[in-house]
Amino acid sequence: MVSRLLLLTLSTALATGALADEAPIKIGIPVGLSGANSVVAPSVVQSAELAVEEINAAGGVLGRKLELEIADDASGAAGAQKAFDALVFQKEVNAIITMETSAARNAGLPIISKGDIPFIYTSFYEGRSCNPNLFVNAWVPEQQVPPVVDHFMKSEKAKKFFLVGSDYAFGRGMLQFSRAYIEKAGGEVVGEEYLPMEGTDWTAIISKLKSSGAEALITSTAGGSPNVTLTKQLRGAGVTLPYGNLAVDEGTAKSMGADAAGIFISASYVTSIDSQANKDFLAAMGKKFAGELRTPNDLSVPQYEGVYLYKAAVEKAGSTDTKAVLAALAEVSFTGPRGPVTMNKQHHAPLTMYLGQVQEDGSVKIAGTFENVDPGEQCPGL
Amino acid sequence: MIVLLDIVTTAAILFVVASGLLAIFGVLKIINFAHGAWLTLGGYCAVVTTALGLNPWTALPLAFVAGALLGAITEMVIVRPLYRRPLDAILATWGLGIVIGQLITLWFGRDVQFTPNLLSGTVDLFGASYSIYRLFTIAAALIIGCAFAFLLEGTRLGLSTRAVIMNETLARALGIDVARVRLITFMIGTGLTGLAGVLLTPLTSVDPNMGVGWLIGAFMLVMVAGSSFAALAFACLIFGGAQVMVSTFVSPILGGITVAVLCALVLRVSPKGFSRG
Repeated sequence: MVSRLLLLTLSTALATGALADEAPIKIGIPVGLSGANSVVAPSVVQSAELAVEEINAAGGVLGRKLELEIADDASGAAGAQKAFDALVFQKEVNAIITMETSAARNAGLPIISKGDIPFIYTSFYEGRSCNPNLFVNAWVPEQQVPPVVDHFMKSEKAKKFFLVGSDYAFGRGMLQFSRAYIEKAGGEVVGEEYLPMEGTDWTAIISKLKSSGAEALITSTAGGSPNVTLTKQLRGAGVTLPYGNLAVDEGTAKSMGADAAGIFISASYVTSIDSQANKDFLAAMGKKFAGELRTPNDLSVPQYEGVYLYKAAVEKAGSTDTKAVLAALAEVSFTGPRGPVTMNKQHHAPLTMYLGQVQEDGSVKIAGTFENVDPGEQCPGL
Repeated sequence: MIVLLDIVTTAAILFVVASGLLAIFGVLKIINFAHGAWLTLGGYCAVVTTALGLNPWTALPLAFVAGALLGAITEMVIVRPLYRRPLDAILATWGLGIVIGQLITLWFGRDVQFTPNLLSGTVDLFGASYSIYRLFTIAAALIIGCAFAFLLEGTRLGLSTRAVIMNETLARALGIDVARVRLITFMIGTGLTGLAGVLLTPLTSVDPNMGVGWLIGAFMLVMVAGSSFAALAFACLIFGGAQVMVSTFVSPILGGITVAVLCALVLRVSPKGFSRG
């Protein structure tokens, strides 16, 4: 009798154990489906869906399926708190992998620490966000700015730079770094001007630029409307200097039409990357989403690769145990559309950066490839 | 010299943007807080003409007609019961602005839209190149200003309108159809604002919020100008000039709030602003 009871208990335990093993691994994606990020968020969700579909079709991770839990963070801090809280404590996701605004990321981090799960951040950002649970597979200023400045100084023989930005943390951070980098490289910054994010009138700044004797222009505005407004007014005023835009992505460049032609952009992903991995990725995206497809971009592709990096880390760790996965995340590597990515530099990743020039038809031609650009000292304490 | 051109063109753009608001406020004493939405509507008329493959200039009449028609509906349905409750009218038109903005978002999406430039290139003036389009805005402002002066001073409608501005009760007693004057004025105001939206497209991005940034500046200028187009032109030159000077010599961040701050100061000192009425 006792042995039968024991057997029963044991088999129940085995059954639940087996069940637990087959339960899906949940990945939480808090993302700005509404608000400022809503333009890009659908593309991020799509690429995560493709990654999960591919991984599940190939047998999942440690025999378990992957499952996505998507929550709208309204692109801001308040929404992010709710979204993170719901994902971590109600949906009990195993990891968070997403791109977000810096405000949303900062609001979510304490919840990540409290729930103690891995967080892979897939958006480029101003840098130096450090948390034992946070890994970043996208670029920081140290990786984005040098290709533009180096190219202008070498190929365009520019020494005098003019910097224009939107007045917010990312805009100022990028230009602060640009100034330091230009001055270190022997160049000179002849002007640095900002307009509030909702500002629409760049007249005075453009007149200053034209009379400054600058030989090259670098801008870092908020994405979308301020960027388009500045570019239109620059072109209207006949500014034809070498123009590096740190805030424009391929999609926006396309919507700007002829005004965008000639602009230099620096990114870790452009659709024209000539690799088999990228071609396969684009083909798979096209096949899965067809007419619904949002053009893959520098925010959505790191999301795709983030899911694969997590898969690799779980497989290396042999479980979804947070401590083991975090240790593995710093070591595992994945070769995706952007090339090989390993988050082994203080939780950040050396990346191949592409300098692109926007063509008349809106496509982006790769003007230079910079391999293995180091993120620098991001989190010396980690 | 460039600063002078910047000042005049900035004033011209402010005038173009604010004139539709002034037409409505001057005659109807109603603040149309949906002004920003009509600017956006005008911008999207340019998007539509682009999509249809029409000449970009056809967006101007289209925006005027679309703005005026929508204005007619708004006047009859929303504004008409509120002439005696101007504060409620502010709320109602503000809400309408949000609704129009959301409808545009639903229809066209949140993305920034592409429109071709009306005029591109630069011209050499005083030894420096200057945007042709910015110079064109001076002409646009002059045309709008003169058209209004003619409409008010030289036509029967203008005479009735001035009568309504001066003494509405008396005007009604004299047999002037006040309701009709109001409707037409509202339509002209909103039509003009749609037109201004098209004129803004070469200068700003076209997105569902494109008009919002212009609303406060236009509102403050109209408060200062009262009901006179001459006063509005004067206010645009003074405050637009101050904005350019502050942006150029102090900081563009402060420049952005110059118009609003100076207008508030002027209204504090002289509640009637620049208008003599």
